[in-house]
Amino acid sequence: MPSPALVAALALALAGVSQPVVAAMPRFRVPLAQLNPGPAATAPVLRISAIPDQNPEKLNRLYGLVADELSESLGRKVVYVPMVDYSAAVTAFRKGDLDLVWFGGLTGVQARLQTPGARVLAQRDVDAAFHTLFIGNREATAGLQPIRSAADLKQLRGRRFTFGSESSTSGRLMPQYFLQQGGVKLTDFAGGGPGFSGSHDATIALVQSGAYEAGAVNEQVWTSGLRKGTVDRSKVVVLWRTPPYPDYHWVAQGNLDRRFGAGFTGRLQAALVALKPTSQRRVQILDLFGARQFVVAPADQYGQIEAIGRQLGKIR
Amino acid sequence: MNPAAWLLLPGLVLLPVLLLLPLALHGGGWSLIGGFLAAAVQPSLDPALLAASGRGLAVTLAVALWSWLLSLVLGLAAGLLSAPLVVAELCGQRWPALVLRRLLALPRSLHELLWGLLLLQGLGLQAGVAILAIALPYGALVARVVSDQVEALDPGPLRALRTAGSPAWAALLQALGPPLLPGVLSYGGYRLECALRSATLLGVFGLGGIGADLRLSLQSLQFREAWTSLWLLGLAMLLLETLVALLRRRWLLPGASVGRRGRELLLAGAVLAVLLLPAGHLLGLDGRCLLGPWSWPAPTDLWTNAGWRQPWPALVGSTVGLTLLATALAVAAGPWLVLLLRPWPRLLLPLQALGLLARLLPPPLTALLLLFICRPGVLPAALALAFHNAGVLGRLLLEQLAAQDPRPEQALRSAGAGPRRALLQAAFPAVARTYLAYGAYRGDVILRETVVVGLVGAGGLGVVLLEALSSFAWGDVVPVLLVYAGLTLAGESLADGCRRRLLLAREVG
Repeated sequence: MPSPALVAALALALAGVSQPVVAAMPRFRVPLAQLNPGPAATAPVLRISAIPDQNPEKLNRLYGLVADELSESLGRKVVYVPMVDYSAAVTAFRKGDLDLVWFGGLTGVQARLQTPGARVLAQRDVDAAFHTLFIGNREATAGLQPIRSAADLKQLRGRRFTFGSESSTSGRLMPQYFLQQGGVKLTDFAGGGPGFSGSHDATIALVQSGAYEAGAVNEQVWTSGLRKGTVDRSKVVVLWRTPPYPDYHWVAQGNLDRRFGAGFTGRLQAALVALKPTSQRRVQILDLFGARQFVVAPADQYGQIEAIGRQLGKIR
Repeated sequence: MNPAAWLLLPGLVLLPVLLLLPLALHGGGWSLIGGFLAAAVQPSLDPALLAASGRGLAVTLAVALWSWLLSLVLGLAAGLLSAPLVVAELCGQRWPALVLRRLLALPRSLHELLWGLLLLQGLGLQAGVAILAIALPYGALVARVVSDQVEALDPGPLRALRTAGSPAWAALLQALGPPLLPGVLSYGGYRLECALRSATLLGVFGLGGIGADLRLSLQSLQFREAWTSLWLLGLAMLLLETLVALLRRRWLLPGASVGRRGRELLLAGAVLAVLLLPAGHLLGLDGRCLLGPWSWPAPTDLWTNAGWRQPWPALVGSTVGLTLLATALAVAAGPWLVLLLRPWPRLLLPLQALGLLARLLPPPLTALLLLFICRPGVLPAALALAFHNAGVLGRLLLEQLAAQDPRPEQALRSAGAGPRRALLQAAFPAVARTYLAYGAYRGDVILRETVVVGLVGAGGLGVVLLEALSSFAWGDVVPVLLVYAGLTLAGESLADGCRRRLLLAREVG
């Protein structure tokens, strides 16, 4: 009867899963105790995060590099905290559990409205004038007249249509705004409402396959899909490129100067803006962000996003 | 009617589904499905990814372990306190138990994911959030099962002990402990498997976890990365399920000697206690975080009128419809497949592998895969929910069948009955009641899970709820939560009624 031995062996096996892996991965290990430093905590740790809009392997690689880079240029310990959900990132920021977060347009505004003192630090060069693409399944949308303005989006009534994630600016908020401009209500779509694919890559795949006849997608993801060859132009076409609007940005807590020393927020902003392709790591970071550089972002630029968010009920 | 018929009857819903399915198929994404399947044999073996996945798996296992244990403790306590028999002994009244039992429908009606998002509002980034998010609804579910089991017990021994002058606590322990133990052990092991599945779907706020990686990989169509997570998770799940089945067989066999079982239970408890420490350390658990400070968002608009003005009949209708359809499909799948494959026992192995994959893939991800070849709507949502839950129920069915005395079936076979006929006349009737009871509990779970597949175009309450949560519109969240609680209560009353009739039928028959 092998039972006690078996139980013990399993215990060893299970313990073995956790211990060596943890020891082997110091960079990915985020002790949650550090996320909530008590009053006795010594040197504060800068906790950075991002909305999960990429595959996890890329998120881990990119923000691991960003943490290393900032840690070097600021002389502080910086850790990356992975988030599982857009609205969880907003809430964690409101609770003060994250110090610097790469938000989308909508989530950034939501986070700042809920967090007194929070500041917009920087955006990529591409973010001041970002675009959404309305895409269509080639076969299903062959009969459509060319779409030249939001008013022409009326033709999408009665079609199967999908957004990306519910809280996405380029995959949901702005396309819904332009649809509204064109006189299309969400209930006008086939099935009584739009779908939510969960991500831009999924939107492209679902429109390309024909599950949905049309959808709205982040222009940057579309372009990189073209480059990687995952987009099949014989099956999916661009119907319309929206007018520009501001999107992604870095948002920081308002209390960083108090916690990290006078002038820290300014140094953090300068470190972000100073990221130029001068070292291999910086080249990698900018490449993964799909940007040439970061620029200082004026907070009032996002007034348009806030107004639209309130109009569509995504900001209360 | 032969009880086996009750097992096969839900299969009637297959007819309309099979009729409608060809109309819903678009077939545009078979290459994507092919890519997903092909990636199974070439998962990404990138060392950084493997290391991150291993850590994610450890985090997920740690959350599953802690939340499981907490849910058992909470569930046993609440279950006994909501059993009229027990409460009547303790305070002379039955009604507190009945009230508590109804109140427990509240925590149970909310999906773990929603518990997580709500607790995060109060507690912030803590591993404790994920643990509580699973332990609270699970505890309430365990409580319901325990109180059902107490209700089904013969009250005779308890009365005898009380009449003989034994104090209430001692009499309860002595009269209820031994007959409850097998059920609690068996169900407790099953809950551990459920906790692992929930921890996978939930992800861990601030720590990621392998389920979060799996979801993001699949959503960004990185199939080879997704399979790295799936294989690791599958291996862990298989190991866990095998161990639980082994222990269950060993401890619950009629011949298991009481003394040895007691010693082994103590040993298992000690092993668990030893495992809890590294698991807690990995998660950075700190019990003090639960004490506060809890800071909720400013409740400006908790009771707005707008939140109450929803098209409730349509929303409730589509949610209930989806639940019933998915439950019928999930309950029917196991018995029908076992019946069809009975003449070829070798096909059982691939079927079990498929079942493991079904349990492994969270329903929203199955729904996404289905959309590659199927138009959005209720059908892919129902199929995704049914696939996952059929995987869970199918395993319970196979386990029950394996535990049956094989002689009646052998006797029928040697009397010249075909393999299917023997199964229908001997084994199926023996397992029908328990299996259908599991099915009814599963309906409860499926109702909660409709939230996470609403976004594939099935509509219903889930869409409204997720939309309200992502807009931080608490005034819209509260009414939907109340409606969910109402639905769970109604479902429970219905199931209670059915079970009472079944119990009565057994007494009469």
